[in-house]
Amino acid sequence: MKNMKNEEKKEIEQVKEPDKTEITGKECGKQAFEVDRRSVYKCVQCGTCRSVCPVFDVVGWESANTRGRMLIIKSLIEGRSPSEDVLSSLASCTTCGICASKCPAGANPPEVVEAARTQLVKCGITTGAQDKLKSGVLTHGNSFGETKSRKHWLSKSELSKLPEKSDYVYFVGCFDSYRYPEFARKTFGVLQRFGVTLLPDEQCCASPLLRTGFREDAEKVMERNLEQIRKVGAHTIITSCAGCYTTLKNNYPEELRVISLPEFLAEHLEQLNLKKLDLVVTYHDPCHLGRHNKVYDAPRKVIQAISTLKEMKNIKENARCCGGGGGVRIGYPDISLELAKNRLQDVPEGVDYIVTSCPLCVRNLRDAGGDIEVIDIVELVAMAME
Amino acid sequence: MDITAELKKIVGGRLSVSPSELYCYSSDASQVKGMPDYVVRPKSTDEVSRIVRLAYENEIPVTARGAGTGLAGGAVPVGGGIVLDMSGMNRILEIDIDNIQVVVEPGIIQDALNSALKPYGFFFPPNPGSSAMCTIGGMIAYNASGMRCVKYGTTRNYVRDLEVVLADGTVIHTGSKMLKSAAGYDLTQLIIGSEGTLGIVTKASLKIAPLPKTRKLVIASFENAEIAGQAVVKTFSNGVIPSACEILDRVSLQVLKRYDPNLVLPAEGDVLLFEVDGTESSAREAAEQIMKVCAPLTLSIRLAESEHEMADIWAARKLVGAAVSRLDPTKTRIYVGEDVGVPIKQIPELLKRAQEISEKFNLPAMKYGHIGDGNLHLALFIDVLNKDDWDRLNRAADLIHRTAIELGGTVSSEHGVGAARAEYMEAQWGPALEVMRAIKKVLDPKGILNPGKLGL
Repeated sequence: MKNMKNEEKKEIEQVKEPDKTEITGKECGKQAFEVDRRSVYKCVQCGTCRSVCPVFDVVGWESANTRGRMLIIKSLIEGRSPSEDVLSSLASCTTCGICASKCPAGANPPEVVEAARTQLVKCGITTGAQDKLKSGVLTHGNSFGETKSRKHWLSKSELSKLPEKSDYVYFVGCFDSYRYPEFARKTFGVLQRFGVTLLPDEQCCASPLLRTGFREDAEKVMERNLEQIRKVGAHTIITSCAGCYTTLKNNYPEELRVISLPEFLAEHLEQLNLKKLDLVVTYHDPCHLGRHNKVYDAPRKVIQAISTLKEMKNIKENARCCGGGGGVRIGYPDISLELAKNRLQDVPEGVDYIVTSCPLCVRNLRDAGGDIEVIDIVELVAMAME
Repeated sequence: MDITAELKKIVGGRLSVSPSELYCYSSDASQVKGMPDYVVRPKSTDEVSRIVRLAYENEIPVTARGAGTGLAGGAVPVGGGIVLDMSGMNRILEIDIDNIQVVVEPGIIQDALNSALKPYGFFFPPNPGSSAMCTIGGMIAYNASGMRCVKYGTTRNYVRDLEVVLADGTVIHTGSKMLKSAAGYDLTQLIIGSEGTLGIVTKASLKIAPLPKTRKLVIASFENAEIAGQAVVKTFSNGVIPSACEILDRVSLQVLKRYDPNLVLPAEGDVLLFEVDGTESSAREAAEQIMKVCAPLTLSIRLAESEHEMADIWAARKLVGAAVSRLDPTKTRIYVGEDVGVPIKQIPELLKRAQEISEKFNLPAMKYGHIGDGNLHLALFIDVLNKDDWDRLNRAADLIHRTAIELGGTVSSEHGVGAARAEYMEAQWGPALEVMRAIKKVLDPKGILNPGKLGL
């Protein structure tokens, strides 16, 4: 038997993994790869995460599951030089957090992956998709690189009536501003009666930057939003996007009170005078609202107040990811859509709508092409207000 | 020969030589490491056969891998070469209830198989703690078992027939759907537990068992693990065969409580979990008998209140081994010396010695395991950033292995030998190891199948 260690290495190194992602950057050299070792060494490689990682379910390679990612990160902190080779593993995590919820050792892989992405960014190792995201946010204040006004969905008269000071700010987010302005309009319509205002020059919450490793750039963007929040004098920020919610709640200063739209609606159900709809709906838990922040009951309370809820096969902490987060939709659209298709398999029979409370989830689940219409919770509430 | 090109011809894009990918296949859950040169994910017996033939002709090592949950480095390619990731061959080919068996590909996950069998009222009994992720192929290769082994036996007791790719690529069947056969050597039993050193399993016919009508769980606590061991011996000698009989020492209990604070577990002592199954009346009778027999030795004893409580306790028990960091975030459980077994009568002695070893090397430890079949999982945990901890850990593991052999036991009850325990095979088997080596030589003359394992 031959020892393979020194044989054919040259030609092996020339073979590149098939990867549709456009990649930029170069090898990092000898720069230390700074990720908290204790967080990484918590992983005992038992493989529990392998059974739940939604990306692995679609891709099938070990590098595409959490254990593989933790191993790769371990190799980097132990001295392996980071290179573009690691991107298809580390950039394909949706940070859905189901691995963390199942990990017997209590590891938090999404945090570790985000920290590793930050180190890769420092080394200049990024995908083209990441760079595009960053450029859009830094140049135009939104993740799509849109140039039109963020408040284009408001009429001139509505704009002129926006209070300069308020206890409540509705943080609209990039998605509702540019992709689902009808959600923004409906949300604003519901919240207006409580005296909410908008930030004069809202910027992206910085979630796309944080999730994909651009921590330093994210700090600057967050500061711009913070300045405005302080100026408005708001004590509470309301948002209808799960990505914005987790970022505002967990990455912005702690003194900020951040509340998701479903939580706000659940708190104010009586004041909303909602009528009961003759509808059966199911609810998809967005990862960054549910698993990351444990907001499970509020959306269900709202839904059950106005319709009949029939749960999906996997719910709450076991809910499967739609594939829309962590930069995966933009970086690996095919994988992202497969995840959404898998999630649609969990939809029960006999429902009129799939309701969720995150525009990223709405888009991905819609694009997966199921028979049942996917709507945001604000649309259901709007129906009950008609 | 351009091996990469040849492999591509066989599996197309299901080949990787990316350094990061290879790294992910360079370890399992043990401390054994070894970089492969190629990873392939075959989809059929024909592909496996062609890959192995290619490897045979070019004398390249081939290591089969399921989910990589092994604890002995069995799936780690210590000699480099090709890793066959079999987890993509995961179909259930036939559920044959009339013959009480099922035909599967090796990559099927244990829990997935049982989910598919449940509507028929049947199950595949061997259930390792890793049942949510381990593959049937891996279970066959390492003769895995788990918590219900005490009544239902190990994987070995459930395999009727295997399709195996031999070292030169030849495909054979080792058995049939028959319940019994008196014709020739039992090659099925030879392949089971051979850790991929004699052939690659590509299909398996498995016997299945009817699901019991009910299960009951007795939770008993004892002053110390030795007394718990005596209670086990006493239970068995009174003619009760539980469907599971697990020990959790007080450290394991603390970890479990951290893992799931809602669990209602005894406040003190070392705990035994006795599960009995059968009809409502037979299970109740068995549970009552256990309670009666054990009561004089216990600090507390009770019956679990509901199926829900039982399910929660078993779910937590399954994952306790990896959960030690919940108790102390600076400590990590390292899987060495974790799978020894002794004859049931020697259990109290093994528990005593394990405690002494833990104290001697000043290593915190959890003791848990399938005490009903003599299998103790000693979980030693260390600060992985401390070199001295590693040294003491390895010395303690060595001593626990030698203790098990001295007590007439085994260095591995269900996790396998792999590379991690290869050095103890001589001491455990003596001249019988030469017979194993002779068999290996005949079936794998070029030594390409999972080299460096089993002490061969």
